[in-house]
Amino acid sequence: MGNKRYGMLYDSNACIGCQACSIACRGENKVHDDVHRLQVRIEGPKGEYPNLRMDFHRQSCVMCDNAPCVPVCPTGASYTNEEGINMVDEKKCVGCGYCITACPYQARYLDPKTGVADKCTFCYENRVKQDEKPACVSICPTNALIFGDLNDSNSEICKAIKKQATVKYKESLNTNPKLIVIPNRHGGEK
Amino acid sequence: MDQIWGNTTQYTEIVWGWQIAVYLFLAGLSAGALISAILVKWRSNLAEGYDGIMKAGALVALPAISLGLALLVVDLGKPFSFWLLMFHFNLKSVMSIGVILLSVYSGLMTVFAAVIFKEKFAENSLTAWAFRPFLFIVEWFEGLGKWFDWVMVVLAIGIAAYTGFLLSALVAKPLLNVPVLPLLFLVSGISSGVAGCIAVSILFFKQSVQESNLKYLLSLDTKLIPTELFILFVMFIGLFNMGGQYAIVGQQALTIGVWAKVFWGGIIGIGLIGPLLVVTFSLHQYEQSDHAPIPVGSLLINSALVLTGVILLRFYMLYAGQIFI
Repeated sequence: MGNKRYGMLYDSNACIGCQACSIACRGENKVHDDVHRLQVRIEGPKGEYPNLRMDFHRQSCVMCDNAPCVPVCPTGASYTNEEGINMVDEKKCVGCGYCITACPYQARYLDPKTGVADKCTFCYENRVKQDEKPACVSICPTNALIFGDLNDSNSEICKAIKKQATVKYKESLNTNPKLIVIPNRHGGEK
Repeated sequence: MDQIWGNTTQYTEIVWGWQIAVYLFLAGLSAGALISAILVKWRSNLAEGYDGIMKAGALVALPAISLGLALLVVDLGKPFSFWLLMFHFNLKSVMSIGVILLSVYSGLMTVFAAVIFKEKFAENSLTAWAFRPFLFIVEWFEGLGKWFDWVMVVLAIGIAAYTGFLLSALVAKPLLNVPVLPLLFLVSGISSGVAGCIAVSILFFKQSVQESNLKYLLSLDTKLIPTELFILFVMFIGLFNMGGQYAIVGQQALTIGVWAKVFWGGIIGIGLIGPLLVVTFSLHQYEQSDHAPIPVGSLLINSALVLTGVILLRFYMLYAGQIFI
């Protein structure tokens, strides 16, 4: 078995939009005021009565396999580590903002304090390396998030993906995200 | 509006603001002015000394690129770490290629300006002590003649075009992610350089300007402007034909809010139709006649219109490109 390839499954049906994940993320990663690594957007109501629906959208880094933020970085500060997680090397980053404009998912921001590009890391340094789950996954009260190794077909995440239909945001861009989404099964056409 | 998921300012904020728009303009202006100067050099008799247009070219190109570089550095999140860009290269990144191009270009641009103003610098008592030790380098480059010119032309084309590739590499921004953008920036950059050279040469170096050269540049600009109009046409038709988000964004950029007004009024109206009208009704007569005096007023108005249009084009592409996604 080669390297791990971490991914996350987000069940938008189980999600209740409570933002506990967002708060846990802020605390765990000491995210500065006014910026977010993670939000859960509640979109809707969509459609026409009585076929209404509310969608939940996880707004965060989707951990692309072919991440547009990586090749554009002029110094190589933006990189994908051996476990598939896209990271920023704070020491190499000059804060040019190229990766922020290149990201189709608006996952990145220039940190107002350090002037460096920052984003969700799946809590790699502070939790995953210690065999803990990312903060958002641990805190989720409805188990809407499953985290694990996509290369291990026996992992909880792989088993869950096999059981049901999933989508990836903006699949047409060929970024191949490792944030995998179970789309809304309820309500109207759109 | 307060949403439970919090502030969304970071998702609508413009990442690259006016500093970058002005930089894109200055890079194109510098490259265009240098190309104009060299085109004039190739059709002049150098035994009569450098044409005023060449002096104007050097006088525009060097400060423009210097100021542009300063803006780039100031705009960084960590301005004092800009040196990292010169020690870590990533040839997959257009920006990193740009850093290499800019380093070579701005260095050789300084030499080019030194060649043109050699006598001035070597004889002026304020600059002579600093300039004379380097005179042999300047003269070596001067001796290269056309070889040096060609290197500079290729570099200038690289600078003007790379500013387009920098933006067209962004898959996330449909308005910018179009193949013709580098060509658009190259043509409009050269156009701005021509306009800058004309204006500065008749303001400061009128005695040494050869009118045949002035007319040559003027006629070049009247060819570049319709070319630019055509490229813009191709770009938007292309966006519509690509469909999906490209078509939506193309339509938004032409119809919504202040940036649509900037496009139609500023870029098309002031920047492209305006100069064509000035040329048709005022400068055409001068171009055709052998005896008419230099129409300084009309030329300056023409240059001001072109430069306004080109700077607005950079602002428009950068802002509309980031807003409509």
